[in-house]
Amino acid sequence: MIYLLAGNPNVGKSTFFNLITQSHVHVGNYSGVTVEKRVHHVKGFEKANLVDLPGTYNVSPNSEDEGVVTYSLLKESYKGIVNIIDSTHLKRNLHLSVQLLELGVPSLLVLNMKDALRNNGYIIDAVKLGSLLNANVISISARERKNEDHELFVSELKNLQTHKALELNYPTPIKWGIQRIHDLLRFDTMQVKKKWLALQILEGNEGVFQHLDISKVDRIREVVLEVERRIIKEDIALSLKGAIFNTRRLFINGIVEQCLIQVEVKEHSKYYNQKVDRYITHPVLGIPIFFAIMLLVYQISFGNFLSPGTYLTDLFGQFWDNILTRYVGEFLLLIGIDGFAFGLIIDGILAGVGGVITFLPQIIILFFLLAILEGTGYMARVAIVMDRFLSKFGFNGKSIVPMITGFGCTVPAIMATRTIADKKERMLTILTIPFISCSARLPIYLIFINIFFDKYRAFVMLGLYLLGLLVTLFSAKLLSLSYFKGSGSKFIIEVPQYRMPQLRTITYQALEKAKRFVKKAGTFILIGSIILWLLSNIGPSGIEIAQEDSFMSIIASFISPIFTPLGFGNWQATSSLISGFLAKEVIVSSLEILYMGNIAAAFTTVSALSYVAFASLYVPCISTVATIRSETGSTKWTLFSVVYPFIVAYIVALMITGIGLGIQAII
Amino acid sequence: MNITDLKRDEKAQITSLGNLDKKFIGRLMDLGIYESAEVVMLNCLTFNKLYVIEVDEIELCLREEDAKQIEVKK
Repeated sequence: MIYLLAGNPNVGKSTFFNLITQSHVHVGNYSGVTVEKRVHHVKGFEKANLVDLPGTYNVSPNSEDEGVVTYSLLKESYKGIVNIIDSTHLKRNLHLSVQLLELGVPSLLVLNMKDALRNNGYIIDAVKLGSLLNANVISISARERKNEDHELFVSELKNLQTHKALELNYPTPIKWGIQRIHDLLRFDTMQVKKKWLALQILEGNEGVFQHLDISKVDRIREVVLEVERRIIKEDIALSLKGAIFNTRRLFINGIVEQCLIQVEVKEHSKYYNQKVDRYITHPVLGIPIFFAIMLLVYQISFGNFLSPGTYLTDLFGQFWDNILTRYVGEFLLLIGIDGFAFGLIIDGILAGVGGVITFLPQIIILFFLLAILEGTGYMARVAIVMDRFLSKFGFNGKSIVPMITGFGCTVPAIMATRTIADKKERMLTILTIPFISCSARLPIYLIFINIFFDKYRAFVMLGLYLLGLLVTLFSAKLLSLSYFKGSGSKFIIEVPQYRMPQLRTITYQALEKAKRFVKKAGTFILIGSIILWLLSNIGPSGIEIAQEDSFMSIIASFISPIFTPLGFGNWQATSSLISGFLAKEVIVSSLEILYMGNIAAAFTTVSALSYVAFASLYVPCISTVATIRSETGSTKWTLFSVVYPFIVAYIVALMITGIGLGIQAII
Repeated sequence: MNITDLKRDEKAQITSLGNLDKKFIGRLMDLGIYESAEVVMLNCLTFNKLYVIEVDEIELCLREEDAKQIEVKK
């Protein structure tokens, strides 16, 4: 039995799942879009599967995520709907509930956050609300993890009954429009009520049209225009959508008045005007405070000293190299596997996958800390503080979280863009974030700085990080002036109450993201490692050959002349860049192997700088490209994300070479 | 008058959403900002470039240029 689970964003859905689910599985994506589909199994009611719909305020889609809701209501087969509601924001949450209840499908409204509402001095009369809305209503507090809440939910879900569809008294022109559209669709078969569909069309739900007979679309659109004209002419509202919204709002206000009961007079403390916010969103102090907090987060996850992240990653790396790889190697030799196959498993697969997977502890810790910041409500303040600066480049205040994550690893940074509602701004952020210097580029910087720029270590390092940031901002500006015109023009954010984040929820969120990292990065790295190792160990003359005779060397020698103007037109440097596509750290190991430990002799100061800059910017690693593909769902933009950085890197490296040689000539 | 004319803690009723684009109005509506809704001005930030308002007990932050489009009456 399938139940759809719907609700506004931030209503405590993850906490709710913690309370009621046994396990959950990903069952691929919703058809046509890139939104992940997840099914949760209810503890104590094995037959029930909850399909998790993306958080939305409205059935009408504003974003791709929200389009899934309309699709599911129209096309999925389900027994009923579970609607989770944040009791402290009852009025707003009921807008979605009303739309769902107008469907006339068996529905269970779960009023979550009972405890928070009680703290504000209120309770909700669930029985009365149920009778006014024609639905089953329960009040729970998922945060407190009480068994009785879980039992109440299960028993209500088991006894869910069909109710009469909710009917609101919409203005006459809308009623007329509903009837007209209903008549036009008279002979079509659909699983939802046609009157509901008609109302959704009038509201502007474009997602519905995809499921209609094309020949009728034009006539339906005419009806919509006619209704809109009458709404404005008769002075009912500013727009058709507004008229529907207002009818619902009045209905909801009436209901809330009857069901929300004040039991204790408490001074309503404003979320914003707390003393803390005076500093945190301060026009001058806000940004330094933010940088200080981020510095601490980085120090803990990626720092050089006293960092649990680095410590665990080192430990994991040692385990991988000294124990796992060693014993697998010994085992392979024991069962008689050596030579080519041995090399493929040890130097190809284990080394390639290990190079990336060993960053897992750092990534878990980073996500854990970011989840804490998000959970407390701080990140919303950061978005506010940074909005003014970022909007100048076509970003949105909300882009700041992915950008920060990008200094750690680009893959989770791209995943973090999901909170950006505007599609243009989200794409812009996804396409420019790979320029931000992720931690995998650090080894490349370090090796070259050690050899060539020992005197100016901090200066060069800072320069390389700034270079990445500048290219990010420059590219964003360029894109926002061209293809993504109008990006960054709008910003509105809800200021949440400061909350004490729950350890359980945060751990759950961090592990969920870590799992995705392992899965997505893992599969591609594995395949990529195998291909790259094979290419550098097989040649026209067969296997077990010198590296100069491998296909990799042949391909690299063919490509390398294009790098001659940049000062590193040889096959070793080129091969390293090709392998770097797998993971940027691989560049370092490739250089070491191919130059046989003598990198110093192969580069001049200028070509070294040019190479480092190029290696940092040229193409995102394969896991990033895979993530861009899965998050944008677009081959075109994925291709762009590979080609554009290459061009930018080439220009930057060429400029460095030109300026460098110029300075040398003068000196 | 519009939202930016309100003083801190002043209450008003929205009368029109001016020339904001349709899609953005949709987002504002999702958050409860629409004609006849009551707003309370809570604060202005970053040198009056951002405004924090309250609608239906939800606190929201929006930019000056958008806030200027939202007409209100006391």
